Amino acid sequence: MDHFEVFGLPRRLGIDTAELQRKFYELSRRGHPDFHQAAPPERQAEILEASARLNAAYRALRDPLARIEYLVRLEEGRDTREGATVKPKAPPELLEEMFEIQEALQEAKSAGQSVGLDAGAKRTLSAQRDRLRARYEQEEARLRGPLSQAWDAAGPADRAGALTAFKEALAVRAYLRTVIDDIDEALGESEEGHVSHRRH
Amino acid sequence: MAYSDKVVDHYNNPRNVGSFTKDTPGVGTGLVGAPECGDVMKLQIKVNLDTGVIEDAKFKTFGCGSAIASSSLATEWLKGKTVDEAAKIKNTDIVNELKLPPVKIHCSVLAEDAIKAALADYRDKNASAVAPASSK
Repeated sequence: MDHFEVFGLPRRLGIDTAELQRKFYELSRRGHPDFHQAAPPERQAEILEASARLNAAYRALRDPLARIEYLVRLEEGRDTREGATVKPKAPPELLEEMFEIQEALQEAKSAGQSVGLDAGAKRTLSAQRDRLRARYEQEEARLRGPLSQAWDAAGPADRAGALTAFKEALAVRAYLRTVIDDIDEALGESEEGHVSHRRH
Repeated sequence: MAYSDKVVDHYNNPRNVGSFTKDTPGVGTGLVGAPECGDVMKLQIKVNLDTGVIEDAKFKTFGCGSAIASSSLATEWLKGKTVDEAAKIKNTDIVNELKLPPVKIHCSVLAEDAIKAALADYRDKNASAVAPASSK
C-alpha cells in the first residue's frame, strides 16, 4: 500500500492539507494501539504496523515538497522495474555556476584562514547567499505551483515529461541548497578559523 | 561513517588538485554533479597530441570525502594511460580500490562520469586531428 492509498487518495499532488490532517486524526484514533490492548497479539502487531504506516504516510504527504519527492520515488520505482529510469540532469550552466561559487568560496576561506573572513568578503558572500536563497525559494514555488498542477493535469502520455520536470527542478534545488549551506557555514564559523565539513 | 584508510589518505592528501586552462590544446574537461547531494566535480586530462597518452590529470571536487577520494584516485589512474585505455576505467574499479560502502557508490559513478565527460570533451575538441597511432 503506498502513502496515497493509506489515505484513499489518488496519486495527485493537489491535496487539501486541512482535510488530510482531519483524516489523519480520525484514522489515528481508530487505529491507536492503546484502544486495542485486549486484542490478541497477532492483531496487536498488525495494529502497530498500520499505525506506523499511517504516520509515515502523513509525514510524506503533509508537506507539498516532501509529497513531490515521494511521488518521484514512487513513480521511479515503477520506472526502474521497466528499466526506463533516467538520471536527472541539472542544466550544465547551473553546474558551471555552482562550481565557480564553490571555488570562490574556497578561495575566500583560505584567504581568511588565520584571521577569518574580512568584512568585505562577508558582505559579498551574504549578498550572494541571499540571491541564491531567492532562487531556491523560486524553485520551490515552481515545484509546489505550476509543476504540481502540470502533474495533476497530465494524461498518461504527459506523465513522463511532468516527472522529468520534477526531477530537474529537485536537482536544481539540491544544488542551490548545498551552496547556500556551504556559504552559511563559511559565514558562521569563519571566526574560529576552522570549518568542519558538513558532509560525510 | 567509517572511511577506509585509502579514502582518508586521498581525502587528507588529495593528488593532482588544480586545473588546466580549458582551451589549451589536448586538454579535456569534464564537469559533473550529483543532484542527490549537491556535489560538483571537475576533472581534466592533458593529452599528448602526438602519442594520445594522458600526460597529466587534475581535479577539483566540492563534495564529501568519498567523492574527493574517487576523483583523486581517478586522476592517478588516468596519468600514463592512452585515451582508449582511460575509457575503460569503471566505477566498480574505484569502489574496489577505495572499499566504498554501498551508500557511497554514487561517488564512484560520479568519478566515472567525470572521466567520460573529460574524454568526450577532448575528443570533441580534437575530432579534426588525426588519430594518433595506437601506442602500446
